[in-house]
Amino acid sequence: MTKYIKYVDVTKCDGCRACMVACKNWNDLPADPQDFQGSVQSHPKVSADTWNVMQYIEHENGKGDLEYLFRHSACFHCTDAACEKVCPENAISYSKYGTVVIDQDKCVGCGYCVQNCPFEVISLKEYVDKNGDKYRKSQKCTMCTDRLEEGLQPACVTTCHTGSLEFGEESAMIKKAEQRVKEMKDRFPNAQVYNPQGVGGTHTIYVLAEKPSVYGLPENPKVPTSAVIWKDYAQPIGKMMIGATTMAVVGAFVTNNIISKRKALKEDRGEDHE
Amino acid sequence: MADHYAPLRSGTDIPFIGGMINYALENNLIHKEYVAKYTNASFIVKESYKFEDGLFSGYDEAKRAYDKTLWAWETTEDGKPVKDETLEHPRSVFQLMKKHYSRYDVDTVTSVTGTAKEDYLKVCEMFCSTGKAGKSGTIMYAMGATQHTVGTQNVRAYAMLQLLLGNIGLPGGGINAMRGESNVQGSTDFALLYDTLPGYLNMPKATVPENATLAGHLAKETPKSGYWTNRPKFIVSLLKAWYGPNATAENEFGYQFLPKGNKNYSHINLFNAMYKGELEGAFLFGTNPVVGGPNAGKEKEALANLKWMVAVDLWETESSAFWQKGAGSDPSKIKTEVFLLPACSSYEKEGSVSNSSRWMQYRWQAIKPLGESKADLEIMNELMLKIKALYKNESTPAAKQVNAVYWNYGEKEVDIDLVCKEINGYDTTTGKLINGFGSLKDDGTTCSGNWIYCGFYPEEGKNLAQRRDNKDTGLSMYLNWSYAWPMNRRILYNRASADPSGKPWSKEKQVIWYDELQQKWTGYDVPDFVATKKPTDPGFSDPFIMIADGVAGMYAPTLNDGPFPEHYEPYESPIPNPFSSQEINPAIQLFDGDFNKRGFKADYPIVATTYRVSEHWQSGTMTRNQEWLSELVPYMFVEISEELAKEKGINNKDEIIVTSARGEVKAYAMVTKRFKPHTVNGKKIHQIGMPWHFGYKGIATGDTANRLTPHIGDANTTIPEYKAFLCDVRRA
Amino acid sequence: MVELNLNRRQFLKLSGATAVTLAVAELGFNEKKAYAQSKELKIAKADVTPTICCFCGVGCGILVHTKDNTVVYTEGDPDNPINEGKLCSKGTTIRQLYTSEKRLTKPLYRAPGSDKWEEKDWDWMLDTIAKRTKETRDKSFIETENGITVNKTEKIASLGGAALDNEECYLLAKMMRGLGVTYLEHQARI
Repeated sequence: MTKYIKYVDVTKCDGCRACMVACKNWNDLPADPQDFQGSVQSHPKVSADTWNVMQYIEHENGKGDLEYLFRHSACFHCTDAACEKVCPENAISYSKYGTVVIDQDKCVGCGYCVQNCPFEVISLKEYVDKNGDKYRKSQKCTMCTDRLEEGLQPACVTTCHTGSLEFGEESAMIKKAEQRVKEMKDRFPNAQVYNPQGVGGTHTIYVLAEKPSVYGLPENPKVPTSAVIWKDYAQPIGKMMIGATTMAVVGAFVTNNIISKRKALKEDRGEDHE
Repeated sequence: MADHYAPLRSGTDIPFIGGMINYALENNLIHKEYVAKYTNASFIVKESYKFEDGLFSGYDEAKRAYDKTLWAWETTEDGKPVKDETLEHPRSVFQLMKKHYSRYDVDTVTSVTGTAKEDYLKVCEMFCSTGKAGKSGTIMYAMGATQHTVGTQNVRAYAMLQLLLGNIGLPGGGINAMRGESNVQGSTDFALLYDTLPGYLNMPKATVPENATLAGHLAKETPKSGYWTNRPKFIVSLLKAWYGPNATAENEFGYQFLPKGNKNYSHINLFNAMYKGELEGAFLFGTNPVVGGPNAGKEKEALANLKWMVAVDLWETESSAFWQKGAGSDPSKIKTEVFLLPACSSYEKEGSVSNSSRWMQYRWQAIKPLGESKADLEIMNELMLKIKALYKNESTPAAKQVNAVYWNYGEKEVDIDLVCKEINGYDTTTGKLINGFGSLKDDGTTCSGNWIYCGFYPEEGKNLAQRRDNKDTGLSMYLNWSYAWPMNRRILYNRASADPSGKPWSKEKQVIWYDELQQKWTGYDVPDFVATKKPTDPGFSDPFIMIADGVAGMYAPTLNDGPFPEHYEPYESPIPNPFSSQEINPAIQLFDGDFNKRGFKADYPIVATTYRVSEHWQSGTMTRNQEWLSELVPYMFVEISEELAKEKGINNKDEIIVTSARGEVKAYAMVTKRFKPHTVNGKKIHQIGMPWHFGYKGIATGDTANRLTPHIGDANTTIPEYKAFLCDVRRA
Repeated sequence: MVELNLNRRQFLKLSGATAVTLAVAELGFNEKKAYAQSKELKIAKADVTPTICCFCGVGCGILVHTKDNTVVYTEGDPDNPINEGKLCSKGTTIRQLYTSEKRLTKPLYRAPGSDKWEEKDWDWMLDTIAKRTKETRDKSFIETENGITVNKTEKIASLGGAALDNEECYLLAKMMRGLGVTYLEHQARI
């Protein structure tokens, strides 16, 4: 079927944050106040109750001129999603629109998805039930899949007044992004389309004004090898063996691998930051 | 996102725009025919006009006021201005203007504003390129322009530049006030201001002897030419709307019931009077001066001098709770009786609001008012009925005034439709609605509560503010969506989009034009005059119909501080005025003593300004009481440059104290590259900025920036100078 | 209630969307019908009322969705030519004007010298305010000044009104001038 994606042109964004509120309003998410961040930014990154966050970046470009950059950050909805691969409960799946959704009934709050996401856009939250027992759930942007079902666009896209956010057919959006990058080259020589192929492409593509690292994005994100091993090899084996112990062992293997992934990501950013 | 950014030191708008005026004139980028025909640039000014060292002729230092008669233009025997359309006469407005702004050369300007020269020249070049026919440029401004001691002249400077470039009355042109409240346009139109009556009619002042009678007032107020010659019809129709059958020809249509003041009663003066204990009672309708007023600490103290106060609001505000410990007050010492009435929100009631483009849009009721809250309309209706009942059997002068007011909108529930019809106006004998203000009369047979709105409700069942036909009728005019006063016109002075012969200046920017075949004006908008008048008919080549001379005022001899905008430093400034020996605007009213302490650069070397953020609104009561907006901007902060932070040993996220001569506030430091010191006259001048939304009530709380701002106002409007004052900063 | 004619709503023609919705989207849109199709969607079966944003002066259109005596969602009005369904963060969140726990729901009175609010009924409040207004007016009323009839009181001030509806502004001006008030101000200056 036709593939639809979210298009984010950061060069049109004015940082009004209507997308953040529209998300909370549609999804009935509570406020999640943070300490003062030292900038206009309200949250350091997305959280279980804040599924998209506006980034504010003061960047001095090659000419020494200040560029005030904004980025609407949220789940990318990877075509080849690490979170989907590592979920031991099969709580994460692809919808018919290609969006990546967490089934809250199935989620046990193990946090593997959180640890393996190359973009760090999934969050765990602890809840307390009626009996006072604690439980955890993973949360992230759903791309308003419930709205898509009804032919409505995601809430953040619907409210965006600058045309920075759009939702549409993939090839048209990619064409638009490429055209926009061409238009912006004079103003932003490093402008580029961000649609990383290491995760099979994403259901959110960006027109970035600067290199991905300026926005704290990995230049070339990949599905961690450990996740591939887990989903494609270990998990089927685990299920066959129905051995909880084995699952735990493999789980630990996955977790350990994250540490090296994080380290690699940090080095990646350091190298590319101007 | 801006194509070009050119920062300036706060309080230097007149040099910035004055330099652009000079650039346009020097480089001959102006629209000369427009200037000659559609502005008063061709008028010859009397020899008594002088300008020397920052002062115009006729200045009286003791009164801090000018004798404006010295600025008048020469007139012919029949009282018309003497003109020279070649614009060559040395005392033509054009030549005087050229001389005045020759002092605003690029180097002088940039040394005052602190703008980088190449940035400034780029702005001049880009904007002045719109002087060509077929191009237009717009200027949008907000309180950053008006909240200065030269605020009116800032906007005047915009108007002059736009007139030089022929940018008024065209699509994509104009000077546009970005209104910060949903109905500050409407509340101004409806005259919630001390010196006006609805529809920009002047409130009669007791200091003008002619105002003793209605006839005297009308004679004094009505010009001999221009559309305002109809003024008596509008005034009498208003009096009929307010006093109904109690307004008769015999009693001057109730004119004597109008209160007549004798001074400036605007915000700063109001609080000055309250501070001195001259006021007893106050009504606050959705306003929060303890956060939003200038020198807010003093405004809070002033409230304690009231005997009673009524606050109508959705929330408990810093103002309604000024007596509480949290406000720093000792409740036992405050004798003010406070009535806090819960109002409902805009979608829990119905009614219309007028946006910045004068579109009057209707809001329908989505849900019943929450709890016991009520619509303000209900509150006003019930209160007025109760007051009227108390006076019913009395006949003192005070009682007579109240008893005369015609107030029939329903007893139990107010009927908004009756209010709408009264605003529009109807025939007082038949009750038939009036189709437009052209049909209003001065004999008492018509009423209209606000003549500029007359026509929005032309017949039964047709409140045009409710229209929702969103088909684009051309040029994004959407003529069938809602209603725009006057007479559904979307571009004011659209006659100026066509040349004197009625032909549009350009195909690209055509709005209306004269169609010879149909023998009338046609186009995308409602013409700003009678459509069947030929362009050559006497008076119909004059596009600016609301001005007596029919042309726009490049020169404004009516303003208090001079006919041309001239730069003066803010009340508190870090430098002497480089343009003249006049430091501050010579025509501003000064407030002395404790009510307004003045700071100087020795103690307060840093320029400060206040502003709003997108996520909060005004004094914050409407947004700091909402969780989602509170989480987006949860803390009071001050933006400071990296250079200033280094000098003061301040790190990002530190708590800092900002002090001014009026007070101090604590806030988080937001150290940013977006603020940079200005180089002014070769010296480094720091500037900081902070939002003024915060107070101690609500979900997101913080110190109130306006504790720092001064009680000083513009020479014409007394709008407080919030946007440029002096301060110092230190680590908390 | 206004008859809605919403025709610009950004309906996607998703090949994966349910057949019923698609048919509606393609045939021209009837919002109430479309929303009624869905069992889960929170705005299904909600009443939709157009309003204009209460914040700045741009005049953006907003749709207020109400269900079970509360506001369940607010979003841009796609038919309003000013904003074509788009909003800023403030306009998007006007739902919380109704749902915020901070809203005042009862008249409150603070007696002289008191350190607390007391709940009072509307009648008592308005009766007392009317009395105070009359007392102050009567003792401060000035009938003439320099031979001119001035009919005013300079001891009562009225502030605010820039967020009121036009009809309210009109009645407020009429009421205050009808009481002889000269200290009349709204937020145009501040």
